[in-house]
Amino acid sequence: MKNLFLFIFILGSLISSAQETFNVNGAHNKIHNYYAFTNAVIHIDYQTKIENGTLLIKDGKIVAAGEKVEIPANAVIYNLNKKHIYPSLIDIYSDYGIPSIDKSKKRSYSRQAETNNKGAFNWNQAIKPEVEAGQLFKVDNKKAEELRKLGFGTVLTHQQDGIMRGTSALVTLANDHAQTVMLKDNVANHLAFNKGSSTQSYPGSLMGMIALIRQTYYDVDWLFNNKKADEFNISLNTVIDNWELPHIFEANDKLSILRADKMGDEFELQYIFKGKGDEYQRIKELKATEGKLIIPVNFPKAYEVSDPYSAMNIHYSAVKNWELAPYNLGIVSKNEIEFSITTADLKDKKVFFKNLRKAIKSGLSEENALKALTYSPANFINEYDQIGSLAEGKLANFIITSKTLFAEKNIIHENWIKGKQYIISDYNILDIRGNYSLNLGEKVYDLKVKGEPKKLKGSIEIVGTKDNKPDTNKISVSVNVSGNLISLSFNPKDDFEKGTIRLSGTITKNTIWDGNGQLSNGDWIKWTAIKGTADLDKKKQKETKKDSLVIPRIQYPNMAYGFDSLPKAQTMLIKGATVWTNEAEGILKNTDVVIHDGKIAAVGQNLSFEGATIIDGKGKHLSSGIIDEHSHIAISRGVNECTQSVTAEVSIADVVNSDDVNIYRQLAGGVTASQLLHGSCNPVGGQSAIIKLRWGSTPEEMKIKEIDGFIKFALGENVKRAGGKARFPQTRMGVEQVYYDAFIRAKEYQEKWDKFSEIPEKERLNTPAPRIDLELESLLEILNKERFISCHSYQQGEINMLMHVADSMGFTINTFTHILEGYKVADKMKKHGAGGSTFSDWWAYKFEVNDAIPYNGAIMHKQGIVTAFNSDDAEMGRRLNQEAAKAVKYGGVSEEEALKFVTLNPAKLLHLDHRMGSIKVGKDADVVLWSDNPLSIYAKVEKTIIDGKVYFDAETDLENQKKNRKEKARIIQKMIAAKKGGAKTQAPNSKKPKLYHCDTVGE
Amino acid sequence: MKNLHIILGVTFYFLLSTFYSVAQIETPGKKQTKKIMLLNGIAHLGNGKVIENSAIAFEDGKITLVANAAAIKIDFNQFDTVINISKKHVYPGFISPNSTLGLTEIGAVQMTHDYAEYGVFKPHVRSIIAYNTESKITTTVRSNGVLMAQATPRNGIISGTSSIVQFDAWNWEDAVYKKDEGVHLNWVGMYNRWKGEKNKNYDKSIAKLNTFFADALAYSKDNNYPEQNMRFEAMRGVFNGEKTLYIHANFVKEITEAINFSKKHKVTKMVIVGGYDAWMITDMLKENKIAVILKRVHSLPSRQEEDVYLPYKMPKILHDAGVLFCLENSGDMEAMGTRNLPFYAGTAAAYGMNKEDALSLITLNTAKILGIDKTCGSLEIGKDATLFISTGDALDMMGNDVKAAFIQGRMIDVDNHQKKLYRKYSQKYEQK
Repeated sequence: MKNLFLFIFILGSLISSAQETFNVNGAHNKIHNYYAFTNAVIHIDYQTKIENGTLLIKDGKIVAAGEKVEIPANAVIYNLNKKHIYPSLIDIYSDYGIPSIDKSKKRSYSRQAETNNKGAFNWNQAIKPEVEAGQLFKVDNKKAEELRKLGFGTVLTHQQDGIMRGTSALVTLANDHAQTVMLKDNVANHLAFNKGSSTQSYPGSLMGMIALIRQTYYDVDWLFNNKKADEFNISLNTVIDNWELPHIFEANDKLSILRADKMGDEFELQYIFKGKGDEYQRIKELKATEGKLIIPVNFPKAYEVSDPYSAMNIHYSAVKNWELAPYNLGIVSKNEIEFSITTADLKDKKVFFKNLRKAIKSGLSEENALKALTYSPANFINEYDQIGSLAEGKLANFIITSKTLFAEKNIIHENWIKGKQYIISDYNILDIRGNYSLNLGEKVYDLKVKGEPKKLKGSIEIVGTKDNKPDTNKISVSVNVSGNLISLSFNPKDDFEKGTIRLSGTITKNTIWDGNGQLSNGDWIKWTAIKGTADLDKKKQKETKKDSLVIPRIQYPNMAYGFDSLPKAQTMLIKGATVWTNEAEGILKNTDVVIHDGKIAAVGQNLSFEGATIIDGKGKHLSSGIIDEHSHIAISRGVNECTQSVTAEVSIADVVNSDDVNIYRQLAGGVTASQLLHGSCNPVGGQSAIIKLRWGSTPEEMKIKEIDGFIKFALGENVKRAGGKARFPQTRMGVEQVYYDAFIRAKEYQEKWDKFSEIPEKERLNTPAPRIDLELESLLEILNKERFISCHSYQQGEINMLMHVADSMGFTINTFTHILEGYKVADKMKKHGAGGSTFSDWWAYKFEVNDAIPYNGAIMHKQGIVTAFNSDDAEMGRRLNQEAAKAVKYGGVSEEEALKFVTLNPAKLLHLDHRMGSIKVGKDADVVLWSDNPLSIYAKVEKTIIDGKVYFDAETDLENQKKNRKEKARIIQKMIAAKKGGAKTQAPNSKKPKLYHCDTVGE
Repeated sequence: MKNLHIILGVTFYFLLSTFYSVAQIETPGKKQTKKIMLLNGIAHLGNGKVIENSAIAFEDGKITLVANAAAIKIDFNQFDTVINISKKHVYPGFISPNSTLGLTEIGAVQMTHDYAEYGVFKPHVRSIIAYNTESKITTTVRSNGVLMAQATPRNGIISGTSSIVQFDAWNWEDAVYKKDEGVHLNWVGMYNRWKGEKNKNYDKSIAKLNTFFADALAYSKDNNYPEQNMRFEAMRGVFNGEKTLYIHANFVKEITEAINFSKKHKVTKMVIVGGYDAWMITDMLKENKIAVILKRVHSLPSRQEEDVYLPYKMPKILHDAGVLFCLENSGDMEAMGTRNLPFYAGTAAAYGMNKEDALSLITLNTAKILGIDKTCGSLEIGKDATLFISTGDALDMMGNDVKAAFIQGRMIDVDNHQKKLYRKYSQKYEQK
């Protein structure tokens, strides 16, 4: 038997590659001819061009391409007459031929804890790596034609639904049996930060999606290394099977690419990223990911700006992006990042080449554009041996074009797929457009022929007289061409003829037509038309003129108040200020402070420092930077993962958004550091991020390094009401049990691992390891004092409860945040060792805050609790100094101590006081220069300095405003010009970025 | 020397503390009859003037003397009580316009909300009916110097009719200072609030509004209308000068439309509430004599590229342009946040305004705009003795420390349940 198969195999490869398994109706129609395309400009690949060559194909494959190719006798020859041949284009981000997902099943508001995808699949409905595009694919000629017209021959298609989306299939765009169209299934893995049609509640936020993907990878690892696991999971097994395939991640936006890459690094996985065209805004960081990119060319439309008031509502960043988006590909290319171009995200695919040409005008070389449409996409999915160039043996996928591919008036004539011809614009149709002298006997008319080759429009200008004045009358001429035959008809209404003249004739060459015609009186007449030499190509000169490329200014971040270049650490000597040291020295009048190398270098009288910029501090106050213990600014796509009562696995640190203008606004209020907390809708929320407000930097650069981790807990009304009626807990009684359950599970988890690690190493190999559980890992960190709690809390009873839970479980609540009834249990908090981070005067917004009093801070402080005031609010966050003053007003805290409520004390609560929170030699130079006593309502921020870098300066701020205004106005003028030039516009849109609070649910 | 008490600094506090110890719950005061003199305080009159060493007297609830103590000769025999408030500050009571104080108690408890009636056009709905004189919030607001408010309904296109109240009352009938003084119209947004897209129904809604006003105007011309229409009855005042039309609008085009609208329908007095973009069209506002009740000063800019301090600077811009305007506090947690109204004026001063002019934004200007300036809003002879004494600058958190307050001459209790809880729990820790 074995030999038989071998024989068949050899025979098969000798005869022909073109065999099929399906039935044929009627006589078989096999053609094994050669096809030769001669006199062509052949672009073998993106960098090799043959000026005058021949391409030879047979049986759907390329036989040869070169200057001298021997043409076999049984060849059909096409003389291409200087036309161009390119390898056909490849799009690896497509959903071609995949049935659209039924999205009628909308997510209900009630909680869906479990997947609706019953079966041995992953527990989460959005994780469906088992989906195979190969199984779903059907040929769709209408869609294929749309892409063929653009010169595409092959696409990689997948079902664009869910977080893990399964694998893609490589298919051609031929109108043929699916069996011949499909080249390969299971080509790449696809992922996205998008739940798609999943109706399951979890995950409800971007950080939840990140946690879910990470947990899935850990589960995969566990199953892979643990063959004896008592679980058969098709989804996870598929991930294992497909691990070596490329992984393509639709991150959609530059920050999410960085997020996905960080996740990939954890699992030694390098994703290929599908972006959205804003990569230029963080190009250095994207380059550092070493990830390849798939980039669309859907540039934003210009805004309708004719009404200046309406135009005010367009975001500055949107205006900037409109101008810069076409430069994106050029910038990516210049930075030597490997990328491919996709038609994805284009609602109207017809604008593909128009936009591509815009990109080419904006700095993308034609060679790199071609590379990104042929070599790179093929290479990304390891299929360059099959497609992507015209090398011998590859698929005969190529296009024939009238000019170079990206030229302004290029026409794609034919698209050949696996040796099969698809005519898009027949080059055999004569292009007779031009100016002619039309001779009818003695009479001569000037005929102009314009329009499309298939839809010609003729016109004749007749000069006569009207009211004794010269008068030109333009009359239209109907022009019909069929093969080499031409017919014309028109009514000149002149002295020569009052009726309609009808002419019929032959086109010889391209330039002379002749034949016979009939006048309105029935007389026959001979006619000729001769093409003039002065042609339509007057515009040519304009096109060749190349402007030197000037890329518009990119700001960091690319929005209002973004920097052109990031601030640098300065050496500064602030002289003669009132310095609020927050140290034993107290408030020092007329004192100098030196800042050097990002640190406080000296504090004293009459200081000098070489090379220091002197800043006059006379009459001014210098304080430590404000630290907000509880903030929700600068977060992307959701502050709450509400969908479960314990979500310790999610982390705000994964979703820091460096593009939030509130970062700058808070700098303008003297804030230098913030803890970005998870919301308060579940008893155990997510981990927090602690950032310095390094405006212009990336999320990673903003995060303060080498510090303790924190996590948000929450009690009370938010916990009870969020997550719908079906989520436990619904009462304060249930909240306690959630905590006990969570920590008992965490302890047992620890024991499992301890037991496992006690097993001798040799035996360990044969013993199933416990599964890594990210949620329990995070809880364990709390028990091991590696992660600390900031707990949203109001009423004394629940505060008491949580301290009991903590005491009995052996950990301490680091901070009670909000803690509006802290004044009632201050003694207990003190004994437990908790700090309090509260509002100065908020109350009455919920029943549980009815006993909140503005004296809360003062009482807690008096009882020896480390007390801070926080914002929980983007607006209040920028005037926390005023809130601190309320500790003086309500309860008589001293001014010195009151300012510590928003500086040193939050630093202590965040375990940052060894380097922040006071003006002391050696500490970080995070300081604010105020015009007045910082606790006074009349105090204004003059400078906010972080790490010795000036991030906010009141004077520069005024300049920036002017600069912003000018910049927006300049681009608006450009938009008006674009509209006049025929560009489509969109209505102004004033969508505001969402401001998160503790109880904001959803993205 | 009949009944003469000259009370000096120390005894002044004694007097107040005995007063407070009697009152368990903040109880409305009796009508003032006695003659009271506040001596040697720094008087901020609310009209831009300050008297450093003042003598202010009142009787029967009305101010009888506002003078420089050093410049006049005072016959102390004429007064029942003379209080020496040396170096303390005296202010006219602050007024909070466009307020839901007393109409709501707890934000997240819907059953305590009485500011948003069902329906779209409801001028006949009157806020005063729901105004709760026992609101726990009001006492915490009084103790920061805010002594009056405009109880204002919310929601719908015409949300209802507002009334002005003072904060020392047994019930709403006592509380009312000016009844049913204005109709509130929420101008239809040109843009969808959440998506930011153009409001497709804008033209339709404005057409409805035009029809409503045209009908109401026609109705108002007839005093014996065959069938009474409660909505239009409530609108009469808008056309005959008895009521102010308050149009809530922020976007510059909406404000412009609102001004043209009120002219078209012959509205006698219109005031813009919110007016975020008002600073851009000060000429138009002045030309049409339109006053503005300006959106909360402590707000974020609404557009990305705007001056980060724009809401802080708007008062200065409007003031310099000569627009009549005052400050309000609607928005998140508006009722309880009313106690921060003084600090909005403080911020306006920090960002360029003269402090006394800033003070007018929560006193005399507010009274002018609400049409009550003949009787309150400043410390002037003949006006109500609605005023308070603060240890320091009441526009600054550190100075705002209300020691005593009077509403129409009645001394009110500036204690509140929060202070009581403070005392109670301070005691708890002292017990140990």
